[in-house]
Amino acid sequence: MSGQPNVLEKVIAFVDERVGLKTLQAKMLNEPVPGGSRWAYIFGSVLLFIFIMQAVTGILLMFYYVPSADHAYASTQYIIHEVDYGWFLLSYHFWGSSAMVVMVFAHMSQVFLWGAYKSPREMIWLVGLALFGIVMAFGFTGYLLPWDQRAYWATTVGVEIMDKTPIVGDFMARFLKGGATPGQMTLSRFFVIHVMILPAMLMGLAGLHIFLFRKAGPAGPFQGTPAELKAKTDYFFPRQIWKDMVAMAAVFATICSLAFIEPVVLLEEATPDPGEYHPEPEWYFLFLFQLLRLKIFSGEFGQFLGAIAIPGAFMALLAALPFIDRSPERNIFKRPVALIGWIAVMAAILIFTVSAIINREFLD
Amino acid sequence: MHQPRLKSKVRCTDREVGEITHVIVDPLSHDVSHIVVGGNGGGGRQIPMSEVQSVVDGLVQLRTASNALAQFPPLKREDYVTTHEVEIAHLEDHLHVESGEVLVPLPTLERNVPRRTFFMNLTHVIGALVALPLAFPVLKYLMKPMYSPFDNAWLKVGNVNRIKTDDVGMQFKYKKKVKEAFMPEAEVDKNVWILKASPAVLEEVYRGKDMEFRDQTGRLVWTNKKDVPYVVFSGKCPHLGCGYKWRKVPKLGKEIFLCPCHLSIYEPSGKVLDGPAPRPLDTLPIRVDAGGNVEIIDMEFKAGTKAQTRIV
Repeated sequence: MSGQPNVLEKVIAFVDERVGLKTLQAKMLNEPVPGGSRWAYIFGSVLLFIFIMQAVTGILLMFYYVPSADHAYASTQYIIHEVDYGWFLLSYHFWGSSAMVVMVFAHMSQVFLWGAYKSPREMIWLVGLALFGIVMAFGFTGYLLPWDQRAYWATTVGVEIMDKTPIVGDFMARFLKGGATPGQMTLSRFFVIHVMILPAMLMGLAGLHIFLFRKAGPAGPFQGTPAELKAKTDYFFPRQIWKDMVAMAAVFATICSLAFIEPVVLLEEATPDPGEYHPEPEWYFLFLFQLLRLKIFSGEFGQFLGAIAIPGAFMALLAALPFIDRSPERNIFKRPVALIGWIAVMAAILIFTVSAIINREFLD
Repeated sequence: MHQPRLKSKVRCTDREVGEITHVIVDPLSHDVSHIVVGGNGGGGRQIPMSEVQSVVDGLVQLRTASNALAQFPPLKREDYVTTHEVEIAHLEDHLHVESGEVLVPLPTLERNVPRRTFFMNLTHVIGALVALPLAFPVLKYLMKPMYSPFDNAWLKVGNVNRIKTDDVGMQFKYKKKVKEAFMPEAEVDKNVWILKASPAVLEEVYRGKDMEFRDQTGRLVWTNKKDVPYVVFSGKCPHLGCGYKWRKVPKLGKEIFLCPCHLSIYEPSGKVLDGPAPRPLDTLPIRVDAGGNVEIIDMEFKAGTKAQTRIV
């Protein structure tokens, strides 16, 4: 140490003495990553980054957006066509939601393939599943807000699907819609859910997710002896953070490019007459949409099977996974059922999505 | 073997060399890997645990002679962080290097444990007293718009003179006034499909019986006579509520109703020909005056169910 501390150093020392910032920062950055940093571990940080950007762009959109049936469409059009850079912020928010879904799938796949949901990390996995549900709910509720035909029909069909839940379905659907058919009450409800309830839930659960993750420590790679892992171990900072930052920058550049290349364009204002519009949900719900076209999911029972029972059973299976799969083996190449299961699910989603897209041309 | 504790005396095979100044922990196994001995002759050397023969009553016995200690490297402090500056899960559960527990007295007023339990439970009771009386009002508050009475007003939708051919679906668009909660009255676009049915198709629709429409209380609102050739279908697909179209399908060699959402196909009579729909298209009340002007009652039915349940 040489010389007297300057004013800035004095201020930092003053604050640190009262808050303990340096210890806190050290704790946050000095987390040993067994086996060392990897590109495979970027997804959680990237999701946090995307969420923060969604919150920022979402708050900015609310400066002009009016959540009422007679102003929602006009105010959204105003954002797109009149407000400086409004088209960009709206398009960023739109593509950001897609990026969020892609990253959630990548994050869940990574955790699944690495066997990182296993003991003692069951709770992290369960909270993660709840966060997955929240991200999908964000996508669904946000879709209605521009109040164009695409918005109206995606909501109409989506809520009809919820209506198929046994016993509580009718109540749930009416509760969400605030009536028998979509209208002002639906818009108000979806708005509150999208801008208040879901963000609060997401922040709480994401905090819990990270807390539990820190409590259990990172799982590390699925193979290697303790000595090998120890030799390659580094701290979260700087190597992992560097990889995370590169990934965030790449995701940011991708979202910006998409917003430039494919900015959001609204259809006609929402109304119960679809005109020539063929209703379709956002791409990440397309596989479910296509599933319901299948003959085996026809009729009242078939529909319950395809829309509620199978997705519900799949989510229940994911939730039960760490409790069913108790073998400590984490190497994906020694877990054939898990590997084949993952490939099958991904292939099914891909096939149904592609066939939904192919189906489009037969409709015109 | 016990974990060596800070400040314990350290003995070599020949003599005592000082006391433990630092303990080094492996971040992955959470075991103590080295001790650092300071004081007379220890020289701040970093000694691996494999050199420790025993730990008894605060005395650490090494396997080495004191003159051999120089072979061990001195501690390079800058290569380490303290346990306060690093996040290692459950580290504290595995480390017992402090000599015994460090205690803080419980204040005298806090020494009555049952009373603490009582107050903990009391906070739950008060929480429940606040929340429970609110549950019902909040639920009713949110449920206000969920159920509203049916509107049985007749709406003009156009003139059937437009229809030139039998058994061809013609779309009639109309405006419907809606007054929702606090909102000013607004108009929404809706549509129905009207068919001038041939006797065969009419028979398929009505099956030889007049069709009755009722309100919530079961009161009869209207009866469609089975011999009136004009049939009106609600514009809402009974599968999941999309709007369907009238389409020529070359493969079938005929014209049908097709819903673009989940590809339900209906015959001109509304019967399901293919696709996932659970019931035929919904027939609505219709009346046609001598000039061909059509009026309907704009009803909606729950989609996706086999039974027809009116919701609007």
